Parts: sequence; C-alpha cells; structure tokens
Amino acid sequence: MRKYLWVRQILSQLFLIIVGIYVILPIWGMLRLAFDGSLLSRPTEFRFFPKVFSLGPLFSVLDRPYQSVHFATLLKNSLVVSLGAALLALVLGASLAYAFARFHFPGRKPGLFILLLTAVIPPIAFATPLYIVLSILQIRTSLLGLTIVYAVFAIPFCIWNMRAAFQSVPRELEEAAFLDGAGYLSTFRYVTLPLALPSIAIAALISFLMAYSEFAIGWLFVDKAQTVTLSMAIYAMVQSGNAQPWSILGSLVVIMSIPVIVIFAIFQRTLLERMLFGALDS
Amino acid sequence: MKKLRIFGFLFVVILVMGVAGATRWKAVTTLNIDYDEDDYLRAAQQYTAIIRSGKLSGFLETNYRPEHPSFAKIVLGISLLSDPEKPLTPDHPTSAGPNQYLARDLLRTDRVTNAIFGIITAGLLALVNPLAGLLLAVHAWTIKYVSQIMLEAIPAFASLLCVFSYVLWKKKQQTRISGWLVTSAIFLGITAASKYLYGIVGIAILVDWWIDAAKAGGWKRTFRNILFWGLLGAAIFFLLNPYLWPDPVGRLNESILYHSAYAQGASEVENAQFPIWQQFVWLSTSPLMWQADAFYFSIDPIIAILAALGLVTTWQKHRVYALWLIIALFFLLIWPTKWPQYLVTLSAPLCLSASEGINTILIAPIRNWILRIKGRKNTKVARQKSEFRQALPWLIPGLISFAIFTLVPLFYQLAVSLTDFNSVSIKDGLNGGIWREVWGGITGQIEVAAQNFPYRSKEVHYLGLSNFKPVFDYLSEQMVLFINILWTVLSVALQTLLGLITALILWQRGVKLKRAWQSLFILPWAIPEMIGALMWVNIFAPEIGWLSLAAQKYGGGMPFSFLLGWENSPSMWLAILLISGVWYGFPFMMLAATAGLKMMPKESFDAAQIDGANALQTFKYITWPLLYPLLIPAIIIRGIFAFNQFYLFQAFQIGTGTLATLSYNFFNPSGFFINGQFAVSAVINIITVVILIGFVILFNRWSKADQGVTYA
Repeated sequence: MRKYLWVRQILSQLFLIIVGIYVILPIWGMLRLAFDGSLLSRPTEFRFFPKVFSLGPLFSVLDRPYQSVHFATLLKNSLVVSLGAALLALVLGASLAYAFARFHFPGRKPGLFILLLTAVIPPIAFATPLYIVLSILQIRTSLLGLTIVYAVFAIPFCIWNMRAAFQSVPRELEEAAFLDGAGYLSTFRYVTLPLALPSIAIAALISFLMAYSEFAIGWLFVDKAQTVTLSMAIYAMVQSGNAQPWSILGSLVVIMSIPVIVIFAIFQRTLLERMLFGALDS
Repeated sequence: MKKLRIFGFLFVVILVMGVAGATRWKAVTTLNIDYDEDDYLRAAQQYTAIIRSGKLSGFLETNYRPEHPSFAKIVLGISLLSDPEKPLTPDHPTSAGPNQYLARDLLRTDRVTNAIFGIITAGLLALVNPLAGLLLAVHAWTIKYVSQIMLEAIPAFASLLCVFSYVLWKKKQQTRISGWLVTSAIFLGITAASKYLYGIVGIAILVDWWIDAAKAGGWKRTFRNILFWGLLGAAIFFLLNPYLWPDPVGRLNESILYHSAYAQGASEVENAQFPIWQQFVWLSTSPLMWQADAFYFSIDPIIAILAALGLVTTWQKHRVYALWLIIALFFLLIWPTKWPQYLVTLSAPLCLSASEGINTILIAPIRNWILRIKGRKNTKVARQKSEFRQALPWLIPGLISFAIFTLVPLFYQLAVSLTDFNSVSIKDGLNGGIWREVWGGITGQIEVAAQNFPYRSKEVHYLGLSNFKPVFDYLSEQMVLFINILWTVLSVALQTLLGLITALILWQRGVKLKRAWQSLFILPWAIPEMIGALMWVNIFAPEIGWLSLAAQKYGGGMPFSFLLGWENSPSMWLAILLISGVWYGFPFMMLAATAGLKMMPKESFDAAQIDGANALQTFKYITWPLLYPLLIPAIIIRGIFAFNQFYLFQAFQIGTGTLATLSYNFFNPSGFFINGQFAVSAVINIITVVILIGFVILFNRWSKADQGVTYA
C-alpha cells in the first residue's frame, strides 16, 4: 500500500510538472525578452536565456517607452481612466443595485435577466454607439470620453456585484436603524454602505482591472499619443513591428502585468466568486 | 371539440405540405443540373425501357451504378412511363461534370417524383410536430437534394415512416407484434433498398429498443420482436432489389467494396479535401452559396443551432429521433466521403430537435411566465406594491443612469443595424441621419434602399431587415458562426478537462507542494488576456516566434516541430489557438472545481472508502454527481468568455476570428479589413446578443442566479 502511494505521488507530480511547464513557457518567453540587453530589434536566434542579462530595457521603459511619451504620462492616463471608470460605474450603479438587492417590485426578474445579459455582452457591442454619441459630444478623443467608454463596459457587472454586496447586509440591521428614527438615506449612508464596503471595493477593483487591461476598443477612441494608456502603448508597439527592441515591449508587459497579478493573488477566491456571478453559492 | 382539434391539426399538416410544395417546386424548376443527376436518370431510363419491352427478366441484370441498390431507381423509372421515349442518357464517369444536355421533360418528371416524396416527408414530420415539419419544409439542403434526381427523397421518406410507425407501435402495444411493427419493418426494407446509408435509422431503432429492454426487462419477448422486425426488413430489402436475386452475396459484397474504394480513391473525393468536420460545416451553411435563386430563403444555420439546443428535450420526448440524429452525425463524421447530400439522412430528426430547441428557448419560458403571472397570489402583489413605493427613490436615478449608459447604446445599435451607416456617411449620421431614416423606414415613409455591400454611400439609407441577410450569408460563407461555435465548444471542453484533472490531482490527500503548484497555475488567469495572447504569439509567430527560431537552430527533428507551418492549415491554426485559449481558461475551471470539491461532505467519501469503492467508482458515484451542478455555471461562464473571445484572435490575426473580432474589424474606421462598416458591425453585434440570450437562459436555469438568492 505504501509503495502504491509513492507511485501515485510520482505520477501526480509528473503531471503537475507538465502542466507547470505549459503554464510557465509563454511567460518565460516574455521575461527572457524583457531582460535581454542585446536586442536591437526582433529576436533573430533562439535562446532560452537572455544573451546579455540587463535591466536596461526596464529602465528605459520607465523613461519614455512610446513615441517620446513619458512613462509617467502613460501610467497617469491609465490610472485616471481606470479609476475614473471604476468610480463612475460605482456611483451610477449603486442605487439600482440597492433597489434590486432590497425590494421586490414588479418587473424585478426580467430586470435581473437584462442586467445579467448586459453584463456578458462583449464590449465591442457597446463601443459602436458610444463612438457616435461621443463624437457628437466632441469628447470622443479625450480622456473623459475614454473614461465614459470604460465605465459603460463596467456598469452592468458592477451593478450585479454591488447588488450581492447589499444583499449580504442583514435586513434586520436596517430595520433597527429605522426604529431608531433614521431615514432611508441616512440608513443607507451609516449602516448599509459601511457594511457592504469591502464587497463593493471588489466590484470597483474588477471594473478597474477591466479598464486597465483593455486596449483594442480604446484604440478606436484615441487619436493622439498624449492620451494613450499603458496597455494601448503595448499594442501600438506590437503594431509598429520591429522599430524598437523587443526587450522594451517585454519590459512594458512585465511592468504592466505585475500589479494585476498581485491583485489576483490576494483576492483569488473573491474574484472567482464574482466572476461566476454568484453561481458557486449553494 | 375533439373533432375540431383533429381538423385543425390536419389543416396545419396540409399547410406545412403546401409550404414544402412551394419551396420544392421553386427548386425543381430553377436548380441547375447537378453532378449525378445524369447517372440516375440513365438508370431510371433503363428500367423504363425494360417495363416497356415487357422482358421483366431484365430487372435481374440491370442496375446502373450498382453501388446503390435499385429500388429508388426503379421508382424513378416507373414515373417516366408516361413520358415519351427519349434516347438513353450517355454513360459518364462519376468524376465528370454535370451533364447539361439531359432531356428536359424527363428531368422534370423525375425531379417532381422526388419532390413529391419530399413533400410527403415534411407532412409526415408535421404529424409528429407541426413546427418540425415546417422547418423541414424550409430546410434548404433538404430542399435541394429532394428536388433533384438523386436517391435521397425516397429513402428519406421511408426512413422517417419506419421510425414513425415504430414509435406508434411502441406507444400502443409494447409487446405484441402488430400492424405498426410490420409497417416499420417494411419501410426499413424500403429504406435500405433505396440507399444503404439511410439504414442508420435501423441502428437508432435497435439502440432505442435495447434501452427500453434494459429498463423493463423481458428480453425474450424483445428479442423475438427484434428478430421478426429485422428478418421482415431484410426480406423486403431483398424483394425490392431484383438485381441481387441471381447472386445475393456476390453483388452485395461488390457494392460494399465499391464504397470503401470510392471513399479512399476516387479523384473527386480526393480533390475536395474536406476536413473531418466538413459535415458540420455543411450544417452551418446553406446551398444558397451555390445558387441563391433556387430558394426563397435559408435558415439552415439557425436550424442547426436550434437543434443543438433542443437535443436534450428531444431525448426526453422523442428518444429514438435523438438517437437517430446522434448516430447519423457520428456516422457522417467518421465516414470519409463528405458530400452534402448525406445531410438528408438526418434532416428529419434535425428539424424535430430544432423545433424542440425553439420550444425550450422561446415558447416554454413565455408559457411559464404567463402561468406565473396568472398564478400569482394577491398577497404577494400587495407586498410588491408596497415595496415598489419604497424602491422608487432608488429605482428612478438607477434606471435613468442604466438606461442612458447601457440600454440607449444597445437601442442605438439596433437602429444602426437597420441602415447602411458607414464611415463615409458618418457626417450625415451624426447630424441625425440615422433617426431620420429609421423613423421614416419604420413608419413606411421611406422605401427600403438597395445598397451593395460594402456600403460606401455618403448618406444614410434605411435598409430594414434586408440588412441581416447579406451579413448572415457572409457569416455562413466565411464559416464565422461555425468556427465561433466550434471554438467555444472545443476550448471550453478542453479547459474543463484540464482544470478538473488538475483540481482532482491537487485535491488528493498527501500531494506535495500543493499550494505552490496552485499559485503557479493561477498565473494565466491573472495575466490580462491581451498580454497572454502576445506571449503565445511570441512563441508561435511564423519566422520570428520562439518555435520558428528554435527550428532554424536545431532543424526539423526537434519536438513540436510538427506545429510549424500551422498558418497554412485551418485544422492546425485551430489547434494553436486552442493551446493558447486553454492556457487562459483552465485555471478558472481549476479554481471553480477546487471550490466545489472543498464544499463536499467528507462523510460520503469516508463511507465510500469503508464500502471498499475504488477511486474510479468514488469519482463516478460521489464526486461527479456532487460536483457537476457547481461546475456547470462555471462552464457556461467560460463558454460566454470563449464565445466572445476577442484579444486572442486579434493578436494572432488569422481567419476572421469570433463574432466579436469580426465586428471590431468591420467597425474600425482605419483598419485594413473592409473597414468603417458601422451598420454591418451593428448587425453582427445584434446576432451576438441574441446568441448570448440563449447562454444567459442556460446560466439562469443552472445557477438560479435570477432567484435573487445568491452568495451572502
């Protein structure tokens, strides 16, 4: 029996190693590029390790990675747009989320259905009309326009998540507040909101990540280098081909991904639940 | 009252036959002459000549194209008796092009004969389910091949009648031999005597029979019935096949050998070079791409999708038809010859399943909804009313912002999809041209304009729903819809498999480094999709990717070199995308499965261990039944993601990608594709939304997310 367990352990580890290689390989391919100081353009020969290990590309990215735009500008654009979108989605979605969480009213079920549907519609389906509407308003190419676009992508998902957050606050607590003479708004402000805040933060985080890593649709809305975000800069670099050393591209990818990976590592379980729209519960 | 219902039912059946008649008549009169029509006309003429001359012994020695049995050809020959005699159609090899010089009146007669069988088939299916009959009446592939001189119409009819009578027999007297069983056997014989391939129904019936017997017991009686049915069928087959009489074994053998040689060696089969899944491609397209004027319209791809959605219900309600569909599909998948006419073998169960699909996603929810409204208790309404007033202050601002930012864009999209709005007419569109045209068009003030795709006019025009047809044709011609669905199914299946296996292995007691492995495997999930796509492009890109560079260095003998040159073969690029897509997706499935496994009661596993169950049994009877209700919502969510997958296809830039990628590239005003086609992009988005509604219904059913009781 003991021998059998050993065989099982070895077979399991073997399988896990194979999956591990599969997981690591593409990441390693990018890391190798990021730290190779010898590249002048695209890689021309196969190497498993960087030819000349160097942090140079990393530092040059932190200076001006894309079309003489400073890294700080790119980061600022990314943060402004993503934070703005997350905040906008929260503010605009909060009251509907609360209504769906607390009250029964006619049309609630079809409403939830529409909400879920709009949460899974691909962003491009929203981009078409927004492109036109924002053109009419003449803010299409500004950072504000971009913020609105990303907020629209995030709103349905955000409402769905905040609804869950409000639902998790016990109704009795609110009723107690009423009995003590608090009004609707002050109950919401002093009882419900603080208790639901951690879950709402997760909803905001997901909205932030959506905007932070989106590039293709935003690309339609941007026409000057000054309003480009970090992820768009990566895409632009890919499209410009071999004009720059690929190590710059690799470094930018690494720098951009690290915060996202850290967030996912910390909030693993919660993020999984949110992305399943609460289906895991039962 | 009952009489009235029967009359109503008959009226519907006749209506279906009328529709089938109209579609088939149009096809009979307008379809170009196809391959093989000359062959079967010649075969029919030979039989006509034999009957006219009175030397009936000629039947024993005549069977032109002996690879197919003779009954259907004899029927076609008999129907030519009323026509004047014409010179015999010359003998051409099967690989020759269509013979354009056939005698027109004979061609017409035999086409009509076939079409009549096609119409009766639709009527017969309407007896099973009127909607299914209607779908069969408009199924373009079926229309095409039952309206030409092919050997499809007669066996298609006979096979349906065979199943139809079998089902009636099963319903009435399960055990005794009766008239319906005899009918079923006779038509089984006719089916096989018309074209061997259609004999698949026999297998479906046998499996159905076996399932019933396994449930109910009584093997002896079942065995007797099957024997009777099979022997009678075989006897009829032999009787209707006079060519076999002189030398049954030899000639049967000869025709079977012909089929295997044909599939492997015939030049036209080799030249076609169809991939293994070609029959699915046929299912998702329509013959309109060859000759659009022979059909009124085509909804074949929709029928195929609906059939997939309705398969489960069909299994519950009409199991033998579901079996027929599954077995025939499987058979066509492994059968090396991939001609589209083989679809007719399964078009009847396909349409039945599609009608159940419509029932599942459309009719049943509406009926439930109405019942719910009717059955609602007054107290609940009262409570809802009082809460409605409380909810109002929250609802109003919420609805306004939701409407402005989410619903209005979608409605705007709908409006754009009815026009020819594009990047050239953007100025007119921005100045209210879209509303002008759509409003005018809907109220009938503006005529539907005729615009050719790609749209490049300077002003917006109202096109109405006529916009959908060219886009739909484009989607089916380029196989976008098909590839999109194939991609969704394959990638989710593989992700689930890998995720589940990984989760189970990590879940075992005593596996070392559990946490380390899990944190490593989460990485692809945490990396933004676009970045992950770039990482894989960095490996697979032709010439500059890691793989190509490695091949330059180490030569062709290295492992994985078979993946090189993937960009030239559709099957290979699908494989490459799957490798990358599974990489993204499996961690999510792994996490979902792990979360599910953690929730499982420990006691049941202990009990299983005490009872001495082995690992496989434990998985089959305990783990899986507990796990799959939790996994299915995750699978559907991943399905939605895969269906909408955008960055991966955009990064690899191969093929037309998913609907989302295509929509983006049509839209992009500065793209290299057919760019700035805002209206086309809108139409594609609407199609996407409609498909997603199906996904969400599925999700709701499995997760009860709409009940409002979600996680705390």
